[in-house]
Amino acid sequence: MCTQFIDFKWLPELCRGNSNLLQGWLVDHPRKSLLACIPAVILGCGAYGFTMGLWQGWEMASYVGIKLPLVIFTVLLVNGMINGMLAMVLGSGIGFRESVQFLLAGFGLMAIILGALSPITFMMALHAPNPDDPGAQQWHSVTLLTHTFMIAYAGIISHRSLLGHVKRFATTAAHGTRTFFAWLAGNLFVGAQISWIMRPFFGSPGLKVQLLRDDPMNGSFYETVFRALGHLTGF
Amino acid sequence: MTNNPTPPERPPQIPNPIAQRTQPKITEPDPDFEAMKEKGGSNILNSLLKKPLSVVYELNKSPSSMLGTLCLINLVCLGVFGFVLGLFSAGDQLWAAPVKVIGGVFFSGMICLPSLYIFGALGGMDAKFPSVAGLMLTFLAITSLLLVGFAPVVWLFSTSSNSLVFFGFLSLAIWMVCLLFGMRVISRASRSMGGGNGGHLAIWAIIFATVTLQMTTSLRPIIGKSDKFLNLKEKRFFLGYWFEVIEDESTSPHRDIPDEESGRSTDY
Repeated sequence: MCTQFIDFKWLPELCRGNSNLLQGWLVDHPRKSLLACIPAVILGCGAYGFTMGLWQGWEMASYVGIKLPLVIFTVLLVNGMINGMLAMVLGSGIGFRESVQFLLAGFGLMAIILGALSPITFMMALHAPNPDDPGAQQWHSVTLLTHTFMIAYAGIISHRSLLGHVKRFATTAAHGTRTFFAWLAGNLFVGAQISWIMRPFFGSPGLKVQLLRDDPMNGSFYETVFRALGHLTGF
Repeated sequence: MTNNPTPPERPPQIPNPIAQRTQPKITEPDPDFEAMKEKGGSNILNSLLKKPLSVVYELNKSPSSMLGTLCLINLVCLGVFGFVLGLFSAGDQLWAAPVKVIGGVFFSGMICLPSLYIFGALGGMDAKFPSVAGLMLTFLAITSLLLVGFAPVVWLFSTSSNSLVFFGFLSLAIWMVCLLFGMRVISRASRSMGGGNGGHLAIWAIIFATVTLQMTTSLRPIIGKSDKFLNLKEKRFFLGYWFEVIEDESTSPHRDIPDEESGRSTDY
């Protein structure tokens, strides 16, 4: 049962975008893909998350190491039902189970890329100034930009690979593309809010190191963006 | 002169645009417009998402066959969505919002049913009134099912958002997305029943959407708080009411909390 995960043969296959691998996962028992993708998300995102919070100390690093995989699983959980329904009504021929497997494979690949980048971000965190030092604010900005770039890169690469798989599996390439973009829009929309609820990840200098902020469910990511825009434009 | 004269070439025929327009268009039947393989609650749910036209086909054959199941699907799904909307204000809204959502959607469906029949006929749809009523129920069932799919997303924002305007527009955006999927089924069903490209049905779709938007104002408050269950005396157009709510929220003192103080704008 676990041999498929232990031998790690699937890992380079997933990175290469081997369609046979995903086809096999979809046809076989879902356990196979779950046993590969769930540990990949936990380990890859966990390791990367750990390095994200490390500049604020080991406590913050441990918190982010737990929270980053949680963000992925929560997005899948919240959007699971609507992703499956959208795949059906858009005529892709993809059902509930397959939609979860597809998205988990996509996030699995993203986690592998992030996991592979984590030694670099680990060393970066070790070279960071203390959060109380005068250069901490500048370092915070550099960290924020670097991590945003790396996560965006991993996200784009993994989703490009996922799009290819969805197009091949769907009834027609057009139906597959439509379904993929519907999933993407939903996941981005919900993902932004879930990551906002689970903040802090980088930890602003001067603010407390916490697993979650005191009022995690108070307000939304989009309200904050609108408010910031309002302050900028004066409206 | 030759003994074997070739017949003079006939001038090329100029296509007559009027004749082309009046010729009936032969559309290929939709492959999904066929009998359902299996019946029963879960199969109807599955068919509504995968092959909604098979449900319409069954309703055309015997309009009363699935009416009960479709009504039940609508009631449960709209009730669940209404409950999730009610979580924004909690308290009495937990029961008032589902009642208003169910009542508002069914009432909109009822008042728009005659126009669906007439506009469908104008477009060439060959269907009796009970079949059109069945089509309306199928359309509402698909819309309601998708609303339930979005319920976890709405719940996420209903428990975390502080802004009535943001949450209201999010709910309306989700409602419109679900409506679009439902409208697609009406359009496909119309073509399967002999209708044309659906210009008349597009107008009907706009009318239906506008009616449901007005319902959100007529049945107010659905997501906000109020001492009264309904406010039928004070009549408002939905756009005017929305602008009023936006203005109220933008001038409320809650808005002036600086982001730096709450630590939200820089904290990630």
